[in-house]
Amino acid sequence: MSLSKLWMLAYRDLGRNRRRSILTLLSVSFGLALLIWMAGLIAGVLEDSLQNSIVFRTGHLQIRASSFEEDKLSLQSKDLLANTEDLTTRANALNEVKAAAPVLWAGVILDTLNDSASLQLYGIDTASPIYTPIQTSVVAGSFLTADDRDGILIGKLLADSLNIGAGQKVNLAIVNADGQPDEGTFTVRGLFSTGIPSYDQSSVFMPLSKAQAFTGVAGHASAIFILLKDQADTDKVAAALQGPGVSIVTWSSMNSLLINAIQAGMSFYVLLDGIVILIVAVIIANTLLMAVFERIREMGILAALGMKQRQIMQMFLLEAGILGLLGVIIGIVFGLGGVAYLATTGISIGDKMAAVAGNSFALGTTIYARFDTGQFAALSLATLFVILLAALYPARYAAHLEPVDALRS
Amino acid sequence: MDAIQLENVTKVYHVGEVETHALNDVSLNIGEGEFTALVGPSGSGKTTLLQLIGCLDKPDKGAVKIKGQDVTRLNANQRADLRRESIGFIFQFFALVPVLTAYENVELPLLLGSVNAKERRERVMELLKAVGLSDRARHRPDQMSGGQQQRVAIARALAPRPLLVLADEPTANLDTDNGKQAMEIMQRLNEKTGTAFVFATHDPRVVAFARRVVKLRDGRIDSNGATG
Repeated sequence: MSLSKLWMLAYRDLGRNRRRSILTLLSVSFGLALLIWMAGLIAGVLEDSLQNSIVFRTGHLQIRASSFEEDKLSLQSKDLLANTEDLTTRANALNEVKAAAPVLWAGVILDTLNDSASLQLYGIDTASPIYTPIQTSVVAGSFLTADDRDGILIGKLLADSLNIGAGQKVNLAIVNADGQPDEGTFTVRGLFSTGIPSYDQSSVFMPLSKAQAFTGVAGHASAIFILLKDQADTDKVAAALQGPGVSIVTWSSMNSLLINAIQAGMSFYVLLDGIVILIVAVIIANTLLMAVFERIREMGILAALGMKQRQIMQMFLLEAGILGLLGVIIGIVFGLGGVAYLATTGISIGDKMAAVAGNSFALGTTIYARFDTGQFAALSLATLFVILLAALYPARYAAHLEPVDALRS
Repeated sequence: MDAIQLENVTKVYHVGEVETHALNDVSLNIGEGEFTALVGPSGSGKTTLLQLIGCLDKPDKGAVKIKGQDVTRLNANQRADLRRESIGFIFQFFALVPVLTAYENVELPLLLGSVNAKERRERVMELLKAVGLSDRARHRPDQMSGGQQQRVAIARALAPRPLLVLADEPTANLDTDNGKQAMEIMQRLNEKTGTAFVFATHDPRVVAFARRVVKLRDGRIDSNGATG
């Protein structure tokens, strides 16, 4: 019997119990759509977190003094870069580099009349395009200028929690390069809101020259912060910038915690995928088993007419195939529609939720999905494959019924 | 030449610890083109005998030969091929595939074989005409009466031009008129095509159509005679 006739038979068989077939179809569609939404959201969250981290925290590359240790934020001259202008010029001269600028980091404590907060100080080149994202996220007051001698920029979330606003004066305390405690009074020039609560709550910016003077490290910087036009050029640029006494650190090593978290998250996500696909498989197996049990006598008739076990098995596998294929197509349509919505509108998770994600996970307050075509295709094929696998048992059961027993039922 | 030979066939069913001898050392020959009734009370072994002849089941002892070939040695696929090519079935329940039209039901055994589309069309229409259902070709079973469904089943049984058609109580679910009509059609097609018919029944009006009557009792052949 030709496959096309078996298709026809299988297709019409699905119409016998239309409600059951439609419900099964919807289960497959909804299951796959759910997987695609999850995959899109996770891809979006992970990619956005990584990109946020690169843009605001690590850059694609950093040139540091060989002895610099990131978690100590040392201000000792041996741990800092002295020839910052040379290094910056060299980096900016490379075609692949979008922007490079020196930055000085230090740990500070910000005091107000009633409260205090432990923050990371960023001494920045205010004119560099690296800080355009900060400049555009200023929500109150103004951005810094290079010659601002007492202005600082803090996150709006931090300002709100400390109950201060733009124009107000605050005290910054520091342990300077000589190991001596020092402090200064600064004016909050502006408030920024990047949409990444963990960042907005823990950073304070001031012009590089003022930061150098305040910390006592004149002419020095912690690192040259480099953004590339294309992330794929990282290794090439890193090799070009190698030199004596400096180390070149790439975004992947600086974000290793995030990348490890991504990998750990992915295994959990694979488990979730497995559970959803398993549920879909059980539904399909159940539907087909019910169809087999309802048609046992008919199997006997078909066997009496000379239909072979292989053909009976094919017929049920085709039924599963039709349900699976239609379900997967509808699932892809719903899935992509959902991802398109989540990619443009996003889901607001709120400041607190985003802040809980912590410093190494630069999560925005709104998370957006992303199209990951390869992943979506893999999920669709896996769903279809598992459906056919789940159909094997009922199909085999039907095919191996003894005709005489089937007719007697 | 004999179409079917049963040689010392025994079939025992086991239900729990109870053994039932459905057939006990039965030998029977059925010639080509015969129109034979198997009669006997319920439980006498009529249906079991039809199932063994139809290669739907295997005997515990003895041989079932179709055109001289011992079918008890064939595997499931070979038996399916043999059924498709040589044996038609008519059941007490009308046994049509509900999702197929009358035309498609009759065509089904031809699709399972390798009959080309043109010949399939000709054979199906010819048979539907022979059973008086040309105008019901596009109807599905649930749009037809019991009598009409059984006539479609008769057409389907004859579609592969089998050596033999086996009918198990073919009129049991039909009223008198429809039962008579079905038997007349079978008789006419037997004469026209030369296909042998063996039908199990305990309805004397059906037995009256048979040219030979084989009587079964308690799994044994009581009489192996022929009527006029």
